[in-house]
Amino acid sequence: MQRLRYSYHMQLNFEEPVREHHFKLRCFPSSDERQKIFNEYINIYPTHFSSAEKDSFGNMCIYGAANQTHDHFSVDVKGEAEININGQLKVEAYKAGIFKYETNLTKAGNNIREFHRTLEPSALYTSNFERAKYFMNVLYDEFSYVQGVTGIFTTGEEAFTIRSGVCQDYAHILLALCRLERIPCRYVAGMIPGEGATHAWTEIYDEGKWRLLDPTHNRECDDTYIKISSGRDAQDCSINQGVFYGGGRQRQEVKVIAEKV
Amino acid sequence: MSVLSIENSYRLLWLGRYSERVYTGLRSFAEKFDSMTGASDSESKRDFTKNYCFDKDNPESIHYSLLRAYDNAIVLRDEIGSDTFSYIQLALYEMKKAESSAAPLLQLQKIIDNIVAFWGMADDRIEDENIRGIIKLGKRIERVDLYARMNMSNEDLRREVRRLSYRIARTGLTYDKDALAEMNILVGANNINRSEVVRLVESLI
Amino acid sequence: MINEELYEHSESVNELLARYGVKFGIYKNGVFHEQLFPFDMIPRVIEKDEFEFLERGLKQRVKALNEFINDIYHDKKIITDGVVAEEFIYSGSGYLVQCDGISPPKNIFTHIAGIDLVQSKNGEWFILEDNLRVPSGASYPMIARELCRRSFPEEFEKYHVEDNRNYAEILSRTMSYVNTGGLSVILTPGRFNAAYFEHSYLAERTGARLVTCEDLIVDDEHLYFIDYSGKRERISDEYLDPVNFNRESLIGIPHIFDIYSKGNVALINAPGNGVADDKGIYYFVPAMIKYYLGEEPILNNAPTYLPYYDKDKQYVLENFDKLVIKDVAEAGGYGVTFGNKLSKQEKENFIALIKSEPRRFIAQEVIDFIDIDIYDNGQAVPRKADLRAFVLMSDEPVVWKSGLTRFSRNPDSFIVNSSQGGGFKDTWVMKE
Repeated sequence: MQRLRYSYHMQLNFEEPVREHHFKLRCFPSSDERQKIFNEYINIYPTHFSSAEKDSFGNMCIYGAANQTHDHFSVDVKGEAEININGQLKVEAYKAGIFKYETNLTKAGNNIREFHRTLEPSALYTSNFERAKYFMNVLYDEFSYVQGVTGIFTTGEEAFTIRSGVCQDYAHILLALCRLERIPCRYVAGMIPGEGATHAWTEIYDEGKWRLLDPTHNRECDDTYIKISSGRDAQDCSINQGVFYGGGRQRQEVKVIAEKV
Repeated sequence: MSVLSIENSYRLLWLGRYSERVYTGLRSFAEKFDSMTGASDSESKRDFTKNYCFDKDNPESIHYSLLRAYDNAIVLRDEIGSDTFSYIQLALYEMKKAESSAAPLLQLQKIIDNIVAFWGMADDRIEDENIRGIIKLGKRIERVDLYARMNMSNEDLRREVRRLSYRIARTGLTYDKDALAEMNILVGANNINRSEVVRLVESLI
Repeated sequence: MINEELYEHSESVNELLARYGVKFGIYKNGVFHEQLFPFDMIPRVIEKDEFEFLERGLKQRVKALNEFINDIYHDKKIITDGVVAEEFIYSGSGYLVQCDGISPPKNIFTHIAGIDLVQSKNGEWFILEDNLRVPSGASYPMIARELCRRSFPEEFEKYHVEDNRNYAEILSRTMSYVNTGGLSVILTPGRFNAAYFEHSYLAERTGARLVTCEDLIVDDEHLYFIDYSGKRERISDEYLDPVNFNRESLIGIPHIFDIYSKGNVALINAPGNGVADDKGIYYFVPAMIKYYLGEEPILNNAPTYLPYYDKDKQYVLENFDKLVIKDVAEAGGYGVTFGNKLSKQEKENFIALIKSEPRRFIAQEVIDFIDIDIYDNGQAVPRKADLRAFVLMSDEPVVWKSGLTRFSRNPDSFIVNSSQGGGFKDTWVMKE
C-alpha cells in the first residue's frame, strides 16, 4: 500500500470579463479496486450552481454555471489516495468492446500502419498485455519526449509522423497500435509525483481485467499512479469543457502536486 | 396567457411594424405615383417605382419591409397560426408578380388587400390576447413614427398617438411611461416638434 | 375508382399549399432557398387488409429496434451472442458513447420512426430504410389532406378513407407519455433548416412551443424556458432535431445532456438512437426481430449484402451490375450508386473502394417497385414512388393511418427524395 497526497489546481484568467459561463469538469479522482480516496476537498469558484454525475465511462464529473461576471475561474481538488498495486480492475468483456475501435485521435494513418507492418507478428505473443508491452518498447525506442511540438488536438498519427511529443501522444500511439489488432485499450488521465502537470497512461484489456502501462516512461504503472479518468482517448478525459460569453484571450494555469506521504 | 419568449415578443412587435410600413408605404406610393403624371418623363417614374417599391436591397423600399415582415411571420407560425401567416405569404407572392407586371399599381392593391386581411385574421383568429396586442402595438408605434416623418396632418398624428397610448397600456410589455406622457404633451401643441415625436416613439419599448 | 374530376383541382390545391408556405429548405451552393414541395392529387390508396398487414409488420419492427437500442446502451447481449457484428455498432457514427448506461424516460428511444417502404411489382412490400433520427415529412400529407378536404370533403366519406388529421394528437400523446412534468416544446435549429415548415406546423398543431436553443436554459438540474417577462417555465420534453444538435460538445443548450442523463427531461427522439438506423445495422434488423421478440419478421428487408462478410463480398463483386450500392454514411438520396450506371473505369475504382473499405457500403438488389400514376399536364403518367410510414411510440407503438408517398418526377429515376426534386402524394388508407 502506498499513500499519496495530491492537489490539482487549475485557474483560467480571462482578459475580458465573462458571463453565463457553463462548465463541465472532469478532474476528481475516485475510488476503485486499485485506489482509495480520502479527505477529498473540492472548491470551484465562482459558481451559480453545480451538480455531480458520472459520465458513461464512470468518471466523476461536476457540471454547473457561473452566471455573474468574472475574470477568472478556478478549481482546486485536494485529497489523499491509497494505492493497492494488487487491486484488480475487473471488467466484463462486453463492456470493453467499445475500446477496440479507433477514434479520431487514435486512428492509425499510413505512418503508424507502415510502422506496424515492420513489427514482429502477433502470434509470438501469448496475451494482449505482452503484445502491448512489446508495442510500448518499440515505440519508446522510436519516439522522443519533446514538449511544445504537439497540442491537445494532435492525433497519434500526427505525433508519430514527427516522432516526438508528450505523454498524451505516447498514449495515443500505443492505443492506435493496439486497436489495429482489435486489442481493447483505454486512455487514462491522472497524476504522478514529480510532474507538475497531469500525466497520461494506458490500460490494456487482458483476460477480464485492465492492466496498466505507462508508455512515456516505458514501464508498468507502479503504486504512485493516481487515476483521474479514463476513456477512449484524451478527448473523453478532457478536464475542463466550457462555454461562455466574452472573455477575449484566456490564460490557463495548472499546478499538480502528488507526493508520497 | 401562454408563455412567450422575449425573442418572439420582439418578432411580433416587428411583424406589426413592418406590416404597417408596407401598408402606409403603399398608400402613399399610390398618391405620389398619381401626382407624378406629366411632371417628368415616364423613365423617372419607372425608376421611382423600381427603387421605392421593388428594390429588395433598399431598406427604404416596400419590398424590403415586406420581406422583413415575412422573416418575422415565418418564425411565428405556431404563435399566429397558419391562416394568419398565409396572408403575409400571399402578399409576398403578389409583390413578385407586381415586379414583373406592366401595370404594377393594380397588383400592388392586392398587397394592400392581403395586409388588411392579415390584420383582420390576426384579430379574429389569434386567441391569445397578448399576442394580438403586441402585433397591434407594433402597428401603432410604426404609424406614429411614419405619420410624424411624413408630415401627415396634426389631427391625424394626434389621433394615432391617442390610439397608441390606449394600446400600449393593454399589453404586458414594459415601456417608458415618461416618454409616452411627453409625446402626448408634444402633439397637443399647434406646432408639433415632429423629430422629437419620432425620437420618443422609438424609445418607448 | 376515384372521381377523376378531382385531379383537375391539382393546381388550386397547390396554390393553397403555396399560400400556407408549405415548403422545404434546401442549400444550393451554400445559399439557402425555400422550395415548394409539389403535390400530386392522385392519392396512393392502400386497402384496409393490406394496411393492417403493414401495421403489424411496422409495429413489430419498431418494437425490436427499441429493444435493440436499449440493449446496446446497457447489456449488449446481442453483441455477446454474436447476432450483430460489434464493429458495425462501435465504428458507426450513430453510436453515441455518452448514452451508454442511460435509460430515457419509459425506456423509449424510438418515439417517432419514419420507416421507408416500397412495393414491388408482384405486390410484396420491402423495407428500404429505418429513419429514427430526423424522421420528418408527416406535416406534408397532414396539411395536404386538410386542404383537399376543403375542396371535396364528401369524397373522403364516400370512399371511406381513414382520417389522417389526428397526427398531432398521436404526437401529443407520445410527448405527454414521456413528459417528466413541465412544458412540451419543439426545438428547432431555426428557419434555415430543411424541415423548418414541419417544426413550425407541428408546433402549431400540437400546441407545443416552438423554441430555439437560445430560449432554453439549464439551471440547477432542470431545463427552463425563459418567457418575455423573465419568468421561467420548466421544460420536460421536446422534439429534438439531433442532426443540428451537437451532442459531442456543450454547444446547443449547455448541460441539457447532463440533466437528460439524470432523467429530468425527455428528449424526442432520444439521443443515441441513430445506432439503429445506420444503413449497416439495417442488415441485422430481421435477425433482431427474431432475437428480441422470438417472432418471424412480418415485413422483409430488400435483399441486402454486407461486403464486410466475405461471402457477401463475393456475391457483390460477381453481381455488381445488378445491385445498388449505398454508402452507409450518406442520407437523403446521396451516396447511392447503381452498378449498371458506371463506366468501366468508374466500376473498377468503385470495386477497389469497396475492397479497401468494406464496412462503408451495403449492396442491395434493385427492387423493381411499382409505378404509381401522377397527374402531369392533364394526363396520368406512371412514376416510381415510395412510402414513409410513421410509427409513434407511447405505451404501445401506433402506426399513423396515412404516410408520406414521395414520387420521382423524372420518369427514369428511382430516387424520390424531395431534395432531389421529387413530389409528394396523400396516402389514403381505406376503412373498409
